[in-house]
Amino acid sequence: MARRACIIAGGMCKWGVREASLVDMVQEAAKECLEDIPGLKPKDIDGFLFASSYAGRCSFQVNTAPVMAERLGLKPTSICARVDVLCAGGSTGILLAKGLVESGMADIVMVAGGEKLYTPQKWEVFYSELASIDHDWDAPHGLGLPPPFFALIAKEHMKHYGTTKEQMAWVSVTNYNYGSENPKAQFQKKLTLEEALGAPPVVPPLTLYDCCPITDGAAAVIIAEESRAKDLTDRPLVYIRGGAQASLHSVSANWPGEHLADWAHLRVAAKRAYESAGVGPEDIDVAQTHDCFSISQIIEVEELGFCKKGEGGSFIESGQTRIGGKIPLNTDGGLLSCGHPFGATGIRQAIEIMRQLQGRARFQVEGAEIGLTHNLSGLNVEHTIVIYGREPK
Amino acid sequence: MAILGIPILEDKYPVTMDMWPLEAKEFNRVHQFYENLKAGKFTTTRCRTCGHVAYPPRVICPECYSDELEWVELPKRGRVINFTEEVRGVPLGFESPLIHAWIDLGEGSPIKRILSRVINCPVGKLKEGSEVQLVVFEVPSHPIEVKGGEMRWAERVFFAFEPVEK
Repeated sequence: MARRACIIAGGMCKWGVREASLVDMVQEAAKECLEDIPGLKPKDIDGFLFASSYAGRCSFQVNTAPVMAERLGLKPTSICARVDVLCAGGSTGILLAKGLVESGMADIVMVAGGEKLYTPQKWEVFYSELASIDHDWDAPHGLGLPPPFFALIAKEHMKHYGTTKEQMAWVSVTNYNYGSENPKAQFQKKLTLEEALGAPPVVPPLTLYDCCPITDGAAAVIIAEESRAKDLTDRPLVYIRGGAQASLHSVSANWPGEHLADWAHLRVAAKRAYESAGVGPEDIDVAQTHDCFSISQIIEVEELGFCKKGEGGSFIESGQTRIGGKIPLNTDGGLLSCGHPFGATGIRQAIEIMRQLQGRARFQVEGAEIGLTHNLSGLNVEHTIVIYGREPK
Repeated sequence: MAILGIPILEDKYPVTMDMWPLEAKEFNRVHQFYENLKAGKFTTTRCRTCGHVAYPPRVICPECYSDELEWVELPKRGRVINFTEEVRGVPLGFESPLIHAWIDLGEGSPIKRILSRVINCPVGKLKEGSEVQLVVFEVPSHPIEVKGGEMRWAERVFFAFEPVEK
């Protein structure tokens, strides 16, 4: 019988500006993860993947997987490795764990992720972000901090499709209001449309609540082979049905779309992910999209096939991405409210989808059976999708 | 070693942690790009085997993997498709306003568009359709340890675009 990978537990530490180191936060997240599945002991975990991109820069620590494994009391014998895909590191770890479990190389894998971005002096936090893009060709133009590029994307979407600032504000209002009741989120704030529209500018047309913050944080999940999962938990099983990761360019001059609001690389990733999971966009009951900026979520609902190209703004404004709408999104607050410790974000998204499909989410989508997570990474150079289901493919 | 006025080199970072490329021939096989910039030329590599032009310049052709490449010039003028102006929150090493433009290099160019910083330009000047041109400037230089432990000073340049109309 074919081996299948299930996500069976997850946990995260408090996210925000933390008075803690990277190894501290990973321990907090792993503790909550194992408390989510009382039968599982550290010695049962045979594989460990750790998603982190800034450990080398901000904690001066490379080869982080054995460091973290030791702190967590893990002694992996199938795999022990770090994954660096910036904003999609956690999701990438989950896709890799699926492959390891289904191939028979591993039985029970912990996928953890974390970033410690706030360094003793604040200027260094922003300066370090310059490393997140193509060093020799985009970084020297001052594109390492993402707001200017996403402001350009927003202006292009407004120009081509008539998207409004108010439609962008609806993304922030909706996601913040879900996050306001999430104790792990960086911000527990109810946001009104008036507040969002009156916020100070970042890079026009982006204002404060259009942008996710810089965040310290960690998260962890357990991916287990189906028969082991059944032994360990009585909760409904959540299968990793499929996924895909597409990288069509790195330097901005080689952008794959017709214009900057045309995300051809996301369409390629979505098509392949849907094929691999045996579903289409109409089958997805709940999703976590990469709302690093409000405009990102507007374009993502289009390119993921939840609405027509160019209609993302009105789709969100009309409430179709709230619970009760066509496709509820970011029901834990998303990046905008939870924050974005790069390597941990995909794991946070996976935890929310797991809880939704198990019927134990804070804001529950009734009867959700198929869920999706999406990340973009870097200067919008890579798209990663994972599709989960109550039934295997 | 402190270099006044250049915060990233004021004892805060070694040169391997700044955003400018290591351009010297000791560290970079496409150093000719920067030599060409110093001569006022904006260039990239073309494959002598299959003719493919790639940007940024390479050591191999990404289409056919030949390493028989030659330097070709790119247009030094283009038109602004869209742009952003960042006044606050400009990262260390850059000055406010930090302006970025998505630039159309024209139908004849092997590289259609480029995203570049625009300098020598006040806020409010740039418009969609504005004509911009290449501008080359010096960036912080750095020492390189060469044979026998001697130090050689490596000069560096980089490029941006500026409005054609002053």
